[in-house]
Amino acid sequence: MTFWNILLILVKGAGYTVLVTLASIGAGLAVGLLLAVLSLVRWKTVRLLLAAYTYVFRSIPVLVLLFIVFFGLPGMGIRIPPFFSMVLCLGLVSGAYLAEIFRGAMAAVSRDEITAAEAMGMKRVQIFLYVIWPQMFRMAVPGMTNEFTSILKYTPFAYTVGIPEIMKEAMSLAALTLRGLEIYLAVGILYYLIYKVFVVSFETLEKRFRIPGLAGE
Amino acid sequence: MALIEVQDLVKRFDGKEVLKGVNVLLSEGQSKVVMGASGCGKSTLLKCLNLLVAPTSGRIIFKGEDITRPGVDIHRLRQDIGFVFQHFALYTHLTVEENITLGLRKIRKMKTAAAREKAAFELERVGMFEHRKKYPAHLSGGQKQRAAIVRALAMDPAVLFLDEPTSALDPQMSREVVTVINKLYLDNITMFCVTHDPFLAKYISDSIVFMHEGVIVAEDIAERLFYEHDDPRIRQFYLSVIDHR
Amino acid sequence: MDAFLQDLIHYSPQILAGLKNTLLLMAVMSIAGLAGGIGVFYLTLGKNRLLRWGTERYISFFIGTPLLVHLFLMYYGLPQLGIRLSAFAVAVIGFTLNVSAYNARYLMTAYNGLDKTQIEAARAQGFRFGQTFRLIILPQTLRLSVPSLTNQVIQNLKDTSVAFLIQYPDFFAQMQEIASTNFQFLKTYVAAGLVYLALVSVIVAAARRLERKTALPGLETLDHA
Ligand SMILES: Nc1ncnc2c1ncn2[C@@H]1O[C@H](COP(=O)(O)OP(=O)(O)OP(=O)(O)O)[C@@H](O)[C@H]1O
Ligand SMILES: [Mg+2]
Repeated sequence: MTFWNILLILVKGAGYTVLVTLASIGAGLAVGLLLAVLSLVRWKTVRLLLAAYTYVFRSIPVLVLLFIVFFGLPGMGIRIPPFFSMVLCLGLVSGAYLAEIFRGAMAAVSRDEITAAEAMGMKRVQIFLYVIWPQMFRMAVPGMTNEFTSILKYTPFAYTVGIPEIMKEAMSLAALTLRGLEIYLAVGILYYLIYKVFVVSFETLEKRFRIPGLAGE
Repeated sequence: MALIEVQDLVKRFDGKEVLKGVNVLLSEGQSKVVMGASGCGKSTLLKCLNLLVAPTSGRIIFKGEDITRPGVDIHRLRQDIGFVFQHFALYTHLTVEENITLGLRKIRKMKTAAAREKAAFELERVGMFEHRKKYPAHLSGGQKQRAAIVRALAMDPAVLFLDEPTSALDPQMSREVVTVINKLYLDNITMFCVTHDPFLAKYISDSIVFMHEGVIVAEDIAERLFYEHDDPRIRQFYLSVIDHR
Repeated sequence: MDAFLQDLIHYSPQILAGLKNTLLLMAVMSIAGLAGGIGVFYLTLGKNRLLRWGTERYISFFIGTPLLVHLFLMYYGLPQLGIRLSAFAVAVIGFTLNVSAYNARYLMTAYNGLDKTQIEAARAQGFRFGQTFRLIILPQTLRLSVPSLTNQVIQNLKDTSVAFLIQYPDFFAQMQEIASTNFQFLKTYVAAGLVYLALVSVIVAAARRLERKTALPGLETLDHA
């Protein structure tokens, strides 16, 4: 079996890896945006809850969280399929980080522009949609790229709950052929390629929507 | 005796000739000012002389030794030349005192106490003693530049280079710094100073070198260069800088 | 008393041993990763183009690929070459390579924000590059990177939980063993999560202190509440 064969077999798992990554990015963005918008609420209880959320999900390792969700929750009669367990965990965790990134980007939108929008008689929702959102989204790009990379790198955990992604394929293959060296090297290369594709497509997107004078730090 | 003698100095930055054969002489105890339009190569000349920038060709004789030859100890050379920058370039993480003692301790190998004593003495001379425990972020521009001058002087260099020491300062602070440099001038410190400021030039120079597009086109004392020289390039330059004040 | 609590008490020697292993691994990789990060950062500033390119690739590879792959590659791959390392050794090497890449990245980011005229000033004063690095560049970039570097320590703690996948008997490995004997998966894993939460809190508190202590005027780090 050549290195090339190994790579071809592993590519089969890459589909799942990308799927888990994209679904988790979607979940993370939803959670992150929700939390970021909620952070605009001046209600104390909400703030406290948000802080607690961030604290918890930034402190518990993803793997531990996955085990709680997948192996623990059935004890309470809640059964979540492997794929959704993984996406849920990554969504919850990356949501906590993304919320911070969005909050930072929102804070960076110039106060004057918001005042100007208020002076024009815009409602809060309109101000968010037309003034804050387009700017914060662009400023958040570098942070988001980092976070999405993290998500990609957590996806191998999916093998522990039986999702047939790259790592799972690699382990079966390694058990069969005892050629861990080539196999895991191929896995590394595969992940690196996926990572590069992600980063490059993000950079392209970022360039396409770039506005002079407005850049992420 | 000539401390620095520059012969046919040429510097090219990827094909672009910035210095086109500069000849200049600086004697011990002499103070020379370099003037000229922005981009004519003044900073490059200064940086070539302590090899912060590698010359393309020509000779630089420092204390009788050609420093453009291979095998010259550039660190030793630089330790002998004080350098003051336009934007102060103080070390952000060190107090004024530490900025000064760092070189004394690590290069001159002085003991901390002796280095402090020397720093205190030099700071006193420029009225900065009371600020010695402050960090650069807490100083005004004029104070920063005075600290930077002391940092350079404390090393007892053979010559002090200054690259536009007042141009980042407002007029009030600029005056503080001119006063300090003028004191050095009166103490016969050897200096080589780039500036756009005719006021500074006049009060700290024995003679002024005028540069234009990489060559030295005139050298004279301030009064004659500013008021009597009839080279149109010099006239134009002079008018442009006094306009700015 | 609650049966679950009794279990925890019963297994406490095992849990504590696991905790010790977790903390040991975290400490070793945090310290080695800081040293490694500084070393890699130093290499990125060098004159040699090839070396710089190699260092960039190294950083990019380790940031772009999962930690688990590095661990598996060494743990299951190297024996093929006759090199058999203990789980602890694999974890330390793999984690350190990984953490060094991240730390180097943080230091590089901080370096990009530095006022470079200071470095020219140091050169003009006659400092050698090594001295400039040690006396000027490092004290400033380290200060500016304190939040990122301490966040990395938190990340390190969390990442130790991966080590059980190569049979390192860390805290989480023990908790799993307990769960598989008492079948109290939810309670056991939540308890594990709470322990990580507590440990992170300790690191966060220490990080805050460190940040306050190392801040200097002009070198404060951005507040990241
Ligand atoms: N490292 C470099 N690489 C390429 N070109 C350079 C470099 N340094 C300087 N130059 C160019 O050399 C020319 C002279 O620069 P220099 O800084 O010596 O001018 P200057 O006379 O000091 O100007 P100013 O009064 O604005 O300080 C400029 O056109 C500049 O763009
Ligand atoms: Mg200049």
